Amino acid sequence: MLVGIDVGGTTTDAVIVEGGRVLKTAYVPTDHENLMNCMLRALDDLVKGIDTSRIERVVLSTTIITNMIAEGKTDPVALLLIPGPGANPKDYSLGENVWVLDGAIDFRGRETEGLKEDRVVEVASGLAAKGFRKIAIVGKFGQRNHAHELKAGEIVSGALPGAEVELGHRVSGQLNFPRRAATTALTVATKEQYRRFTDHMAKALKERGIRAPVYILKADGGTLPLDKSVEMPVETIFSGPAASIMGVMALSPAGQTSVIIDIGGTTTDLALILSGKPLLASKGAKVGDLLTHVRAFAVRSLAIGGDSAVRIADGHLAVGPHRVGPALCMGGPGATPTDAMRVLGMTKIGDEAKAEEAMRGVASILGTTPRDAAQKVIETVVDRIVSEIRAMFHEWEQEPAYRIWEIMKKEKLQAQNVVGVGGGAPPLVPLVAEKMGARAIVPEHAPVANAIGAAVARPTMTLNLHIDTERDEYIVAEEGLVGKVGDRKMTPEKAEQLARKLLLERAAHLGIIDYADEAQVTYSEVFNMVRGWSTAGRLLDVRMEIPAGILPEWRA
Amino acid sequence: MARSKTGKTGLIFFPAFDWAISPTHPEREERLLYTRDQIFEEGLMDLPQIEEYKPRLAEMKDVARVHFCVPDVEAQVTEAHLIAAGSTLTLADAMEKGEIRNGFALVRPPGHHSMRVVHGNRGFCNVNNMAIMVEYLRTKYGHKRIAIVDTDVHHGDGSQDIFWHDPNVLFISFHQDGRTLYPGSGFTNEMGGPQALARTLNVPLPPGTTDEGIHYVLDELVLPILKDFQPDLVLNSAGQDNHYTDPLANMRFSAQGYALLNEKLSPDLCVLEGGYAIESALPYVNTGIIQAMAGLDYSHVREPDFVPGRFVQSQEMTREIEGTVQHLQEIWEERDALVEGALAELGDFYRRRKRIFYDTDMINESQEEAVRICPDCAGYMTIASSAQRGYGILNSAYCVSLPRGACSSCREDAREEYEEHVGDRKFGYVYLQDKDRDTFRSFNNMTRTQKNY
Repeated sequence: MLVGIDVGGTTTDAVIVEGGRVLKTAYVPTDHENLMNCMLRALDDLVKGIDTSRIERVVLSTTIITNMIAEGKTDPVALLLIPGPGANPKDYSLGENVWVLDGAIDFRGRETEGLKEDRVVEVASGLAAKGFRKIAIVGKFGQRNHAHELKAGEIVSGALPGAEVELGHRVSGQLNFPRRAATTALTVATKEQYRRFTDHMAKALKERGIRAPVYILKADGGTLPLDKSVEMPVETIFSGPAASIMGVMALSPAGQTSVIIDIGGTTTDLALILSGKPLLASKGAKVGDLLTHVRAFAVRSLAIGGDSAVRIADGHLAVGPHRVGPALCMGGPGATPTDAMRVLGMTKIGDEAKAEEAMRGVASILGTTPRDAAQKVIETVVDRIVSEIRAMFHEWEQEPAYRIWEIMKKEKLQAQNVVGVGGGAPPLVPLVAEKMGARAIVPEHAPVANAIGAAVARPTMTLNLHIDTERDEYIVAEEGLVGKVGDRKMTPEKAEQLARKLLLERAAHLGIIDYADEAQVTYSEVFNMVRGWSTAGRLLDVRMEIPAGILPEWRA
Repeated sequence: MARSKTGKTGLIFFPAFDWAISPTHPEREERLLYTRDQIFEEGLMDLPQIEEYKPRLAEMKDVARVHFCVPDVEAQVTEAHLIAAGSTLTLADAMEKGEIRNGFALVRPPGHHSMRVVHGNRGFCNVNNMAIMVEYLRTKYGHKRIAIVDTDVHHGDGSQDIFWHDPNVLFISFHQDGRTLYPGSGFTNEMGGPQALARTLNVPLPPGTTDEGIHYVLDELVLPILKDFQPDLVLNSAGQDNHYTDPLANMRFSAQGYALLNEKLSPDLCVLEGGYAIESALPYVNTGIIQAMAGLDYSHVREPDFVPGRFVQSQEMTREIEGTVQHLQEIWEERDALVEGALAELGDFYRRRKRIFYDTDMINESQEEAVRICPDCAGYMTIASSAQRGYGILNSAYCVSLPRGACSSCREDAREEYEEHVGDRKFGYVYLQDKDRDTFRSFNNMTRTQKNY
């Protein structure tokens, strides 16, 4: 038995899945003031009459971090940057609490300017006086050499006993200093409160006699043991869309290209599965105003939904972006797409006469019949959604590439399926699919697709290995790991072997070793370093991933 | 140059990480690796001032609009060349559509040593990215007057050759003195064809010239001339090998010097040319140029070993540069009289002979060029070209080019020239480049087949 719980905007859903079937579902209204409580209530409803000892795994998809950030309830953080030469740190929008330290590391990880320790001491005492307890320290190219970050961290910890200090290289080994800075700051800003949540949750589950391992769903559609997730709380952001995409993966044909449409009251979310693989945001998620390194699915939101206000502006029909209230047929103040659907018989909800009245108002301005007006409203909604889908495919096609073969091979993909989840999906998905020349799929369990997605998602992880054979060094930044290579002419194959070995170690540490067989090399590059006319060494980069996927138990 | 300067800076980064002339050649995979590391780590692509574009492939026709490729375009370009050239076109389109206010094609392979006729690779270049962009901009968007400022340390002899007779393209190249560096040309007496005298200006600089010397040339010569010329567009062949650490040249220009140059010049579009100090210069120079184009603060960009005041120019060097600048100012002032004088001495045709050496491919080419001095248009041009490799003839070609706005008499004569040489076994290939109608054809005299672009 696999349990999945998903905290949504209006309801918190829970499912039990067994042997490829949905065994039981439950839901409670979401209480945004107490997410913990409503997750437990949904769970209690779900397991009523179920032998909890048969539960093998529980996965939580929660908006706790999303809400904390959206509501500005994160802890204040002092961000200490070691930018070295290059951009002016003021050109990055990283907030007010930024201090600049002196020192520089270059792209090869060489120290080009020593860390000025006096300056660190001075900044640290200033932070103490201001009462900062959470500190992020991020150096440019700190992922290639973390000596400055470590030293600065040591000084700051000494000056601020008990403060939480997070170092940039532990958060991401990828290039992009401002994103690393933002991600590190968010990590330390949410860690303590998140830890409180995981502690309570673990205790509450124990009290209920649930001894199965508990996982949390991340933005990349992967799961992570609850106790390990405290190392990277920000990765649990946007788990809602991730859950719905994983749910669709589970509920639609494998290996195909699908568009996922989640039509809600005021917004419609779009995501893509390309040849069976969910599309990731190319460089990382945008969290509020901050660009981060958090791996997340690419989701496009448009302000249109069942409750969007229908207006006539300059003789033209417009739907959204605002919501004035529920649909007229549901007792709301004005015309909405839901009223149009009711008039056209696409849905049975709401009062038919009220819906008719809503469309009559629109029709009188347009000089047509209520039915025709309803048709036009639906066409407008469908056209908006279709054009956003096309824009999303186009954006994917236009992602920059840096090698000839990448530019030559990039194929054009057509959507094979349009899959709908969310309340507004069933009536509209066939219309969108028709325009796209694709098959419409509204899965049987669409309303609880998110919870199913959480229940059946498998773990994911990423390992970034950087090797510089001239400097005789390999680095896995996130692990703080540095080793000797001892092979000036290391081949990409050898580098990939090393990456696999290191991945196994990391997977063991994260408690997901059972899935390490699924790891793939997703990126591998090698450059000969030529100095004068001979080869001085090699630079190799390998990225290995356990990608998002569905547990074999579901497909079985 | 009262152009509106709002909007984003377009950037195409195409490092061609899977293309090299040979494994240890300066033009190899690794060239822009550290530049990638630096600009990605800086997060420049994420800034709201910058928009990154994906390159497209240039079409064969875009190349044929500029070059006579022997035997044909397909034989002279690889996919890498088409992507590098296509990058410039993508940015040109984005600028014309108003999506960006300026753009930088940070791409390889480079192009400014490629001349009008192409038998192979010379100076690491096969086709001229800058010239392909210029002709595209003129054909598609109707620009009339264009200024190219070539800031590579090597003389931009390919671009010079292509625009030699064109009074509407101002080509200014400053570079290390040709007596001390490849390609050995670019002296002040190379000023353009008789109808376009002083629209080609060369500023040879002594080895060791510093920021001070280059900015003197910019402030005293280049910027005032641009103001006089009033171009629709200012384009920059942005070589980065004037840098004090470049292994192939001997100048002393810094990353700050490059960024400031870009800010003052304020080019509409920049195209990367050379620059081979891949670790010590390129990451910093490129960061500085991108920032300057995007109006960002570049004052924090600095090479690790640079200290302000590190390089001081001798007084003798300063005097030499001042002398060259003064000489060129005089040439520029007399430009109309120079053209008048030259045309007065000419009959119906202007002719010149040239020898061209392709250092990369070891080819020797000899050319006889003729341009009709026509009262009604820019006049058609013919080039008889023969290329040798070692002691054997490689290829020979007869090239005919019709200018934009060609008069009917030139059109007729050019057509006759082409037809006369079709079947003429002295030449392997015959070409007719019709820039007025934007059609390009070639004929293979050995296989008797015609090809159109």
